[in-house]
Amino acid sequence: MSSVELRGLTKRFGDRHGGAVAVDGISLRIDHGKLICLLGPSGCGKTTTLRLIAGFIEPTAGEIFVGSRMVSSSGHALPPEQRNMSMIFQSYALWPHMTVAENVAYGLRLRKLDRETIKTKLAAILATTRLAELADRYPGELSGGQQQRVGLARALVVEPETLLLDEPLSNLDANLREEMRFEVRRLHDAYRYTTIYVTHDQAEAMTASDLIAVMNAGRIEQAGTPEEIYLRPRTEFVARFIGGSNILRGRNVGGDRADFAGIALRCDGAKLAASGETAVSIRPHDIRLSTAAPDASCENVVRATVVRQVFLGGSRDYMVEAPDGTQLRVIAPAEQSIPPGAAVWLHLPPERCRALAE
Amino acid sequence: MSVAAAEPFVRRPFLDASRPILWGCAALLCALIVLPVSWLLVFGFSNPAGAFTFENFRLLATDPSFLEPMVTTLIIAVSSSALCCAIAAPMGWLVARTDVPLGRTIRALVTASFVTPPFLGAIAWELLAAPNSGLLNQAYRALTGAPQDDALFNIYSLGGLIFVIATYTFPYVFVLVANALERIPGELEDASAILGGRIWYTARRVMIPLALPALLAGALIAFLQAMTLFGSPAILALPSGFHTMTTKIWSLFQYPPKPELAAAAALPLLVLTVVLLRTQRGLLGRRGYTVVGGKFGRPRRIRLGALKWAALAACLAVLCLPVFLPYFALFNAAFSPSASTLISPSTMTLQNVQFTFELSTTKVALKNTFILGTLAATLGTGLALVIGYITARRAVAGHRVLAFLATAPIAIPGIVLGVGLFLVYARPPFQLYGTLWILLIAYITIELPAAYQQMQSAFRSVHPELEDASRILGATRLQALGHVTAPLLRTSVIATWCFIFVSVIRELSAAIMLFTSETKVVSVLIFDLKESGDLGAIAVLGLAMLLITFAVVIFANRIPGFGVGRMRAA
Amino acid sequence: MTKRNPTRRDVLGGTAALAAATVFAAPARAEAPAAASVTPTLIEAARKEGKVVWYTSVDLPVAERVAKAFEAKYSGISVRVERSGAERVFQRVGQEYKSNIHAVDVVQSSDAAHFIVWKRDGILAPFVPEDVAKHFPPEHKDPDGMFATWRAWLSVIGYNTKQVKAEEAPKSFADLLDPKWTGKIVKAHPGYSGTILTATYQMSRDLGWEYFEKLAKQRIMQVQSSADPPKKLALGERAVMADGNEYNMFRIKESGGPVEIVYPTEGAPLIVGPNAIFKAAPNPNAARLLQSYMFSAEGQQINVDIGGLRSVHPGVKEKPGRRPFAEIKKMKDDPVAVEKQSDEIKAHYTRIFKV
Repeated sequence: MSSVELRGLTKRFGDRHGGAVAVDGISLRIDHGKLICLLGPSGCGKTTTLRLIAGFIEPTAGEIFVGSRMVSSSGHALPPEQRNMSMIFQSYALWPHMTVAENVAYGLRLRKLDRETIKTKLAAILATTRLAELADRYPGELSGGQQQRVGLARALVVEPETLLLDEPLSNLDANLREEMRFEVRRLHDAYRYTTIYVTHDQAEAMTASDLIAVMNAGRIEQAGTPEEIYLRPRTEFVARFIGGSNILRGRNVGGDRADFAGIALRCDGAKLAASGETAVSIRPHDIRLSTAAPDASCENVVRATVVRQVFLGGSRDYMVEAPDGTQLRVIAPAEQSIPPGAAVWLHLPPERCRALAE
Repeated sequence: MSVAAAEPFVRRPFLDASRPILWGCAALLCALIVLPVSWLLVFGFSNPAGAFTFENFRLLATDPSFLEPMVTTLIIAVSSSALCCAIAAPMGWLVARTDVPLGRTIRALVTASFVTPPFLGAIAWELLAAPNSGLLNQAYRALTGAPQDDALFNIYSLGGLIFVIATYTFPYVFVLVANALERIPGELEDASAILGGRIWYTARRVMIPLALPALLAGALIAFLQAMTLFGSPAILALPSGFHTMTTKIWSLFQYPPKPELAAAAALPLLVLTVVLLRTQRGLLGRRGYTVVGGKFGRPRRIRLGALKWAALAACLAVLCLPVFLPYFALFNAAFSPSASTLISPSTMTLQNVQFTFELSTTKVALKNTFILGTLAATLGTGLALVIGYITARRAVAGHRVLAFLATAPIAIPGIVLGVGLFLVYARPPFQLYGTLWILLIAYITIELPAAYQQMQSAFRSVHPELEDASRILGATRLQALGHVTAPLLRTSVIATWCFIFVSVIRELSAAIMLFTSETKVVSVLIFDLKESGDLGAIAVLGLAMLLITFAVVIFANRIPGFGVGRMRAA
Repeated sequence: MTKRNPTRRDVLGGTAALAAATVFAAPARAEAPAAASVTPTLIEAARKEGKVVWYTSVDLPVAERVAKAFEAKYSGISVRVERSGAERVFQRVGQEYKSNIHAVDVVQSSDAAHFIVWKRDGILAPFVPEDVAKHFPPEHKDPDGMFATWRAWLSVIGYNTKQVKAEEAPKSFADLLDPKWTGKIVKAHPGYSGTILTATYQMSRDLGWEYFEKLAKQRIMQVQSSADPPKKLALGERAVMADGNEYNMFRIKESGGPVEIVYPTEGAPLIVGPNAIFKAAPNPNAARLLQSYMFSAEGQQINVDIGGLRSVHPGVKEKPGRRPFAEIKKMKDDPVAVEKQSDEIKAHYTRIFKV
């Protein structure tokens, strides 16, 4: 049974005709107990989608279902306080005039639980999030990481059906962010709610989620598991956004081959367009670079010249130029250092050449 | 996977009182503002028999007894506004951008002149600069041996009135300019300095243009204040033999009252105010003057070197005018047997104090002022809170209209509002004349814009996500307001309360139209005493007023914010 | 209600009795109401009411002294004095009554014409204190018992003795037009002060409006209340006053202030100030008690001794040091004419003096 479902969700700000469209006809099904990530650059509509789900804004069109209940539609929306959801905000939104304990216990008090129950649950969650010694401090006295954990504790203690996270780690420094990524996943696995996580950081998305929905300009470009998204991107945007990619363009020359730099490149993935050019994506570290010509049985071999080379420690980052002028980025092992100007052969393994739908 | 047939969502059956409260406030606002203005329009276009006519305006445009005051008012407004800018801009720059010593003290003293009622300042300046009996002129004659009739200053003149008005309106310009200059980042001056600009060049080419919008905005406000003041002209213009628009409107209410003419005379003031305010908003809205760029450092303090003492002396000299000299004159008049003689330890007397507090009207006036001040402050703050919330959080449709209405009363000069309220409420079905209610309505209407703006910026400082966090955990809007927003706004709420209270105490132009013997307030009492020449009593009451005002202001500034020390950005 | 014409006009003469104002015209009925004496019942009823509100235009310190004396004699009744210029008092009473507000019990005005209007409008209550019935000359009490002369005084010229020597001082209104007084004169306003309105009527009648036109060229300092010019003289702000209360001058002079009175040779305008009770008074008994007190010999003596006023009560002694009333040349007063011309006088004055 799906826990949260979005059907044709649209939000337009401003007046009827000519306002900016923030969310454009999104449909998505999130199964119960899964952690889905809405991933995309700033301005893609992911935070708006999250706020629509939370109930802070009403959709212009489309519906949102939680379980079998319709909670939002254009013209009617259940207010946030009635949705049994929890949210962690980008700014943490900790109430500065309440202690950590009061912040965390707020939701429990609203539900009118008795004192003993509140005490027990509070102690439990503070232990889980390692905040027990900080219970009587005020948010202004805590570090960023500690504040983030308070937000987490506050959201989790009420045992919501659905947990919403709005870029919760973006204010933390790099080390802490890594640590917290695992923490969020660990807690999700422990409590098993449906979690919707909004971020622009793909590393976060890859680490934490069961499902990633890549968003751009108000639409979902592709939704799938981290592996699917990475290995089999369906659009140019997704290919570039996740993991970075080289995009080649070639006309269809028959039999799954696209014409590139004089050779017929055999591609995998989507069908090549019948006419016109198709974009083909290949990741920098999937291209094999060698100074000697590979043997004739290899397909998809292209000659190129090294333009520049950067030593990164564990690898070398090459920029090479193909005969037709296209520049490709290649990441190769660090042992061999090929100087700029040298001639090289590139082998583009067919299963790594993904033809993109658009 | 398909979804079962969706059930329509079920609302919990409890009453959410948020909507009706919000709509109620909107309705109240409309009544407060739309009613008096519309009655002004009705009366302006009627004759005493009630028929529609343009006669009132024709009279206004042709009768010299109306034209002269209009011209006089414009001259006063332009001159005092220019004077304000000339004084306040350099002072603002000194305090905001240089290392002039005692900067905070200077600011505090400017606040003191803000808080002094202009009519009290006018009376005090009479004591100082009346050509024959004024203390300053006496000193001048004593020092220079000039003959009896010579005077350095004559306060009973157009120039005298302009001077006094400018003295008590320059704080507006000062505050705006100082705040604007403080926001200009230091890097801009550095950039100019690196390119070879010296202090004055930088000041001229960089600082002044950036501060120009604030200066112009301040000049406009000073202009409006000067145009709509009642107390100072009433005190200084009439003995000098001329009227301003406000005193003329007031005189039209003396027996026999001509409310139609008064309304017609009030309308041009109203229109002009609205036009000027729109211009000001347009000026401040031009994006070209905002600073564009990345992170900024603190403003650099220009080192004045040896000049800083001269600068301090100049600032203190300026502050003599609204603060030191007048307060001394009042103190002198309060404790001296005659206001024109300097007190000495041997002649000091408490007879004026005794006389003042034995007056039967004093007790009534003090009681009324206190009641009205407290009520207006409490109700006004509440109203500003709710409306500030509505507009800051966009809680209802049409919140923009509410925001407009809440700030609209700025455009209505006090005396015009007094006339309008009189026309509305001194007749059936309201019949509020003679009660404290009509004064309460007037005070709330007048103070609402400033209170609302304070509350609005306070709301802006509370991140909306704090309320969202509360709501997602299960609180309704009102609960979120009560649990989260209200405690965080506590200092602002108290500050706004004090502000309204202080403003009510010193309000004269509306009260003078609406009071009766039972509902007299201290400002009107002072005005009455002025007409019979009881300077000692005036001085005592004036000092009492200032004492109460300062006590409230100092209290407001010292309020220990609950958890303020811990409320660093969370 | 039709307006009755005066049937009799007293001529001012050098008699001991003060000349009457024609406000006291022939009676509508054959008999005035009976004299009322102060009885313990009245005092008790007044004490129950506890307070009385008196609108008056007499200078504030004088009004407060009278009030305090009354409070001292009849403890438990507090007097609220509401003091403003007579023309303002009249306007406020009008505004309040129009809005059905009955806040005032007793009213005193320095513009005797006001009482003509109030009586005509039927809002005054007949009440004749014992002293008025027994002692007051008929010219100074209303035949219908609505009001009586509470005080009388003159509008006089004056000068500051420190700035002006006695020989150089102006002796007449005409003297004030001398260029040497330009910029040195202070004067009050008929739009505010009943005293000045009455005086302006009398002067315009006897000297003509051309006099005021010439006076306006003297760049006078314009104040409001007739109590203010004497105070301005005492302050030293101006050297000479063109009009102002005689009684304020007495008060200031007798407490050592540097002022001196000049009775103009053309005659000093005479002002009569009646006192009356309103029919709709909220505290009628206290009002009657106050009225009785104010017209008693004791009350009137306070007026003279402390107030510097003149009294028509024959039992009251003039204070030595003041020129006896009978010896002063006075202008004739005519409240009926003032009542008719009041608006026109104020408008004309405003046209000439610009404020």
